[in-house]
Amino acid sequence: MQLKHIANISTALAAASCSLLGQSAEAGTVLDDWQFNSAILLYSEQDRVSAGEGILTARGDFGDDKYLNLGLVVDALTGASATGAVAQPGVQTFTRPSGRGSYDVAAGDTPLDDTFHDTRVQLDVSWEQPLAQDWRMSVGGHLSKEYDYLSLGVNGSLAYDFNQKNTTASVGLSLSHDSIEPEGGIAVGFAPMLLRSNFANDEAYQSAFDATRDRADDTKDTIDLLFGLTQVINHDWLMQFNYSLSMADGYMTDPFKLVSVVDDNGLVQQNLYENRPDKRTKHSLYWQNKVHLSGTFLDASYRYMWDDWELKSHTADVKWRLPMGEQWYVEPQFRYYQQSAAEFYVPFLKQDEALPQYASADYRIGKMTAYTLGAKFGTRLAEGNELSFRIALYQQKPENDGVTAPGVLADLQLYEKVTAVMAQVSYSF
Amino acid sequence: MAQINLQQGGKCVVGQFRAMASPCEVLLERQDMALCRTLTELAATEAERIEQKYSRYRPDSLLSQLNANAGQWQSIDAETAALLTFANTCYSLSDGMFDISSGILRRAWQFDGSDNIATQPQIDALLPNVGWHKVQFNQRAILMPHGMELDFGGIAKEYAVDKVLQLLVQQFPAAQAPSIVVNFGGDMSCNRPRQDGSLWQIGIENPSLADQAISAVGLSQGALATSGDSRRFVLKDGVRYSHILNPKTGWPVIDAPRSVTVAAPNCLLAGMLATTALLQGAGAERFLTAQGLQYWLIT
Repeated sequence: MQLKHIANISTALAAASCSLLGQSAEAGTVLDDWQFNSAILLYSEQDRVSAGEGILTARGDFGDDKYLNLGLVVDALTGASATGAVAQPGVQTFTRPSGRGSYDVAAGDTPLDDTFHDTRVQLDVSWEQPLAQDWRMSVGGHLSKEYDYLSLGVNGSLAYDFNQKNTTASVGLSLSHDSIEPEGGIAVGFAPMLLRSNFANDEAYQSAFDATRDRADDTKDTIDLLFGLTQVINHDWLMQFNYSLSMADGYMTDPFKLVSVVDDNGLVQQNLYENRPDKRTKHSLYWQNKVHLSGTFLDASYRYMWDDWELKSHTADVKWRLPMGEQWYVEPQFRYYQQSAAEFYVPFLKQDEALPQYASADYRIGKMTAYTLGAKFGTRLAEGNELSFRIALYQQKPENDGVTAPGVLADLQLYEKVTAVMAQVSYSF
Repeated sequence: MAQINLQQGGKCVVGQFRAMASPCEVLLERQDMALCRTLTELAATEAERIEQKYSRYRPDSLLSQLNANAGQWQSIDAETAALLTFANTCYSLSDGMFDISSGILRRAWQFDGSDNIATQPQIDALLPNVGWHKVQFNQRAILMPHGMELDFGGIAKEYAVDKVLQLLVQQFPAAQAPSIVVNFGGDMSCNRPRQDGSLWQIGIENPSLADQAISAVGLSQGALATSGDSRRFVLKDGVRYSHILNPKTGWPVIDAPRSVTVAAPNCLLAGMLATTALLQGAGAERFLTAQGLQYWLIT
C-alpha cells in the first residue's frame, strides 16, 4: 500500500525529531562528495603592478580514501615593473621590449616599464589514493598559459605511514617544461636597447633591432625533487621537515630586463638586455610546526634556500589562529624574508670595466629583505562552510650590497622600496 | 556497564561496545585515547539507560511495564511523553503506516527465511490490538486498550544515537567539540566536519553480500540510518515477504527494497524516513525522491 499522495513529509518529521531531541535547529548538509574552495585576491603595489586573481579548487571524495583534486587559477596583471635600468638626473627614453614604440621616464625616477600586463590561466589536476597498507600515492599535472608563456608539468608523490601512523615519509617528483615567446623575440645576451631616434628611418631601425634578436622563443626544463618527513609529536603538535632540490636548465633570463652601463660620472651610456646563466640548482630546507595551544592554532615555519647562483634566503613565517567569540577566528600573520644577492647581480655596469659573463640588475635577485604583515578573519557558517577575509601589507626593501655609486648616481635612489597591499576573500563550501 | 574496547585507526580513534543488540562505536577525530575512553564510557552508559527504559525484550523495562498495565491510565515521564509525541507525528505523517502498536503482529510471523507464512485467522486475531489511534495520551499519562503493546523499534536506537552524540558534544565548551561519529549498528550521526576537511568514510551494508560494504559514502556532518534486513523474510511460492508489516492488513509489505539508507540532519529523521520508505513497498523510491534527501536503496 502506498501513500495516496507522495508527500514530502521530511520537513514535518525533521521538526518533530528536533523537538524530541530538544534541538532548535539542525545543520543541513549531510553528505559532501565534493568540497570547493574559492577565493578572489587583489594585489596592488604602490605605483607599480596591480593584480587580480580568482581561484577555484575542488576536491572530490571517491570513497576508500581516493580523491580527485582540480584547480583553476585565473589572474590578470597590469601596471609598471622595474626594468633594472638606473634612475638619472634627466629624462630617459626607453624602447618598449617589443621594439615598437617608446616611453619616457622622468628625472630621478626609477625606470618602470608601464606596458606590463598579462592574463594567466592555470589548471591543475591530481589524483590521490592508497597504494597498499600505509602507502599513499598521488599523480597530477598542470598547465599554465600566459600570452607569451606556456608551462606544462607532471608530478607524482608517494607517502608511507609508520610508527603507528605517527610518522609519514614522503617523496615527490615533478617535471615541468616551460616555453617563452616574448613579443619582439628574444634578445641576444647583452644586446643594446636601440632607440628609434638614433636611426634615419624605420627600415634602418628595424633591421638593427632584428639584429639584436637571435630567436623567437626558448624553453626551460625543471626537475623538482622533494623529500618530506611529518611527525606527530603529540596530539597537539605536528612537525614537518622537507628537503627539496630543484634543477632548472634553459632560458632563465628575463627578456624585459635591462642593465644600465654608466660612465665615471654615473651617467648612462647605454642600456643592455640582461643575461643570466641557463642552469640553476636550488636546495631548500623547510621546517614547519603546527601546534594546538589551548583553543588556538599556531603555524610556525622556517625555510632556508640556497642555490648555485649564490643566492641564499631565509624565510620565517608565523600564523596564529585565535578564536574570536564562538563563530569567528582571527589569524594574524608575520612573515620575514631575507636574501643575499645572486653572484651576477649588479645595480649597473661600468663603462670602463670588461663585460662580465652574466649580469642582471633585477632587484628581485639582489640583496633584500621583505616582510608581510597580515591578518585573516574567518567564520564557519552553517553546513561547515567557511568564509574568510585576509588583508596583508607586503614590503620589499632592496639593499645596497656594498657598491659605490659613482657621480650623479650617488644622489639618486637606486634601491627603491616596493610596498604592496593584498586583500583576499575566500569561501569554502 | 558494557565492556569497552579501544582501537587506534589511521585518522581517528574508536571506542566500541555492545548495546541494543548491535555493535556500537564512537569515532573520534582527535588522536586521544584517554578522551576516547571517557566519551565511549559516557556513550555506553547512555545507551544502556535508553535500552533499559525502552527495550521490549527486557521484562523490567519501563516499556514492558506500560505494556503489562495496558487498560488503565499510567503516568509517564517527560522523555517518554516526547517519544510518544514523535511516534504520534510519524503515525499521522505516514498515513497510519508507521505504527508503534504493530509489533504484536510478529506473533503470527516468524521471519526466519522459511516458507511459513501466517494464516489469515491468526492475523485477524491480532489486528484488533493494533492501531495507534486507539491510544490516548497526554504529556503526563497514557491509556492504551487492554491487549495492546507498544514497541519503540525504529525509534529507540536512532533516538539513542542522537542523544548520545548530543551528550558527547556537551562535554566540550561551545563549538569546540572535535568531530565525533556515533554509530550503533549502522545507524549513525556526526556532529561536525572533521578539522582536516576529510570525510568520515561510512560503508553501507549490502544485505545480499552479508557483511561486505557495498560502497563507502563520505559523511561530513549529520546522520545516516538504514532500514531493512536481508536475513529476515519469508519466501513462499516465489514471493519474498519482508519483515516490514503493514499495520492495517497484518501482512508483510511486498516488493519493498531489501534495504534503504537515508541521510538526514539527525538519526531519528533518517531512520523514520528509511522505515517509512520500506512501508511504501514498490513505491519506496518514489517516496524517497519526494523527500529531497540523499538515499541509497538496495533491491
